[in-house]
Amino acid sequence: MILNHQTLPANGNINPYAFCIDVTGEMLIRKGKMIAYYGSLRFEALGAGPFEVLVNEVLNSPLQARNFVVVTGRGKLILGDRGHNLASYDLEDGSLTIRSENVLGFQPSLACHESIIPGYLTLLGTGSFVASSNGPVHFLEPPVKVDEDALLGWADMPAPSYRYDYNYVRGALRTVGALVKGWGTGEEKQLDFSGNGTVLIQASERGVQR
Amino acid sequence: MTHFRLESSRLLEVELRNERVMTRAGAMVAYDGQIKFEKSILGGEGLFGALKRRVGGEGFDLMTTSGTGRVYIAQNAAEILLVPLQNEKIFIESSSLLAFDDGMRSNTVFAGLRGASSGQGLFTTTVEGTGNVAAISDGTAILLEVTPSEPLFVDPDAFIGFKGNIRQEFVFDVNWKTMIGQSSGESYQLKFTGQGLVYIQPSERR
Amino acid sequence: MPQYSLINSKMLSIKLHGEEVYAKRGSMIAYTGQVDFAPSSSGSEGLGGRAMRSVTGEQMSLMSARGTGEVLYAFYGLHVTLIQLSGETFFAESESLLAYDGRLRSGTQFMGSGGMQGMLRGAATGSGLFTTTLEGAGELAIVSDGDSFALDVTHDRPIFVDPQAYIGHRGQLQSNIVTDVGWKSFVGQSSGESYQLKFTGLGTVYIQAAERGGNR
Repeated sequence: MILNHQTLPANGNINPYAFCIDVTGEMLIRKGKMIAYYGSLRFEALGAGPFEVLVNEVLNSPLQARNFVVVTGRGKLILGDRGHNLASYDLEDGSLTIRSENVLGFQPSLACHESIIPGYLTLLGTGSFVASSNGPVHFLEPPVKVDEDALLGWADMPAPSYRYDYNYVRGALRTVGALVKGWGTGEEKQLDFSGNGTVLIQASERGVQR
Repeated sequence: MTHFRLESSRLLEVELRNERVMTRAGAMVAYDGQIKFEKSILGGEGLFGALKRRVGGEGFDLMTTSGTGRVYIAQNAAEILLVPLQNEKIFIESSSLLAFDDGMRSNTVFAGLRGASSGQGLFTTTVEGTGNVAAISDGTAILLEVTPSEPLFVDPDAFIGFKGNIRQEFVFDVNWKTMIGQSSGESYQLKFTGQGLVYIQPSERR
Repeated sequence: MPQYSLINSKMLSIKLHGEEVYAKRGSMIAYTGQVDFAPSSSGSEGLGGRAMRSVTGEQMSLMSARGTGEVLYAFYGLHVTLIQLSGETFFAESESLLAYDGRLRSGTQFMGSGGMQGMLRGAATGSGLFTTTLEGAGELAIVSDGDSFALDVTHDRPIFVDPQAYIGHRGQLQSNIVTDVGWKSFVGQSSGESYQLKFTGLGTVYIQAAERGGNR
């Protein structure tokens, strides 16, 4: 299927791995994830010139300010990320903590805070954002234990705690060869989610080791 | 024309009836029948072309696959884009080229500054004639139309190829540099004007 | 019995009602309920299988899950395929095996022919020569880089497969290791493979659209 400026979706998926944003105002996008665009768009670093105010009000984190740029103008912008699955999510007066590398773009109506968990950020308020995942996102309800590598984020619930499986560790120590191989595969340590809310998981954060 | 068929989006089946096809070396995963493999270089390029490739660091080897049988071709679990050409010419990023009909002419052309900072090689491969061309795409490829009123801007890492009456330019944009520079080292974008089709992948080239 | 289902192309769910499931180590990504995990070196095979394994160097790194609940499995974003067995044997490249349970009996088998000499040659060249066998009635899950493809083999059409793309096979098939000068020089160049797997007979061979250990 041949697409052009008119036929590209307005804020929708082109295929499972590419998402098109209809830029009409300001949008924050992650550096390096824009793969193509039509129209007249400007890309500005955050914290410079007219967008200093955005750093204060939207990106409550100097660390994240370096990872995002502001897109202004009018046009169709295509996002892609390592061939991962892309989807857009709407927050309504919500709170969602998500692996920051997987956040590809968000509306400035959302406030972005650095999470207490390293490598994660929290989006607060009302607005939409685009995120990537290795395979489609799967939603789980607590109580659930999740491997850290597969965790994408969690919504409307407290941060998780670590849980160590001492039975597994004991078993590993008994198994011949386990001290060299099979140690630290993730089975002995999980993130424990309890309470209400939603947990988002993906197949793996890391790609295939080739 | 050789029969190209996608067994799925990631596996190309080429049925040969005493025919030949050019494929990327190392991309064949299975075959049946009586098939012969021979090393080849990109057709029509001569000594200068081979030199260019070495300078450009393309590291791109082709093989001639001939005989009667079915050949299955895949590369790094990438999706495969099939482009049938009718007396046309496609410009394709050499590292994205997977296979094409033997009857077509291929060449490696200088593509300006492309790759100077990304290490992707300085050259683009052209395939010309009538037949099938298969390219790899990390994620499903996107086909974008370029018209005189709608130029298109593309990240060089997402670029696969183009066909038609298209002009390719390198645009050095200070703002772009601010945006992309840090992560991938790219300080320019590709601008396509004219009338034709551009093929891109939803990923940065690895 | 354990219930296997695919959540998406890269994620497997197994519901347990007190049974035990064997899966690739490091593949458990989430679980609910009361499930105990333990390392397991060989799954449900007998002593003979274990001895064979130590001789051949074919290592399966497995873990068992036992209890009541739902366990989700995925492995580095590889694609998951479910295979249903009804009494026959499935041969799997052990790196490609994701999960199975006690309904299937596991073992190890040499892919080539030629007795001890062939075996030694195989041991020298590396992977893809010894497969894990699973026999019985039940499901198993395999992983592949990209989706997996089932290629039919008939008596008049033997098939040649790159050992790095091979993930498994079933049916009345004989496998042979063949070396081919053309293959050696041009095909296996990148991966260092100097042989192919040839399957003859009647059955199905499963391959993936990438070479294990290839570059990306």
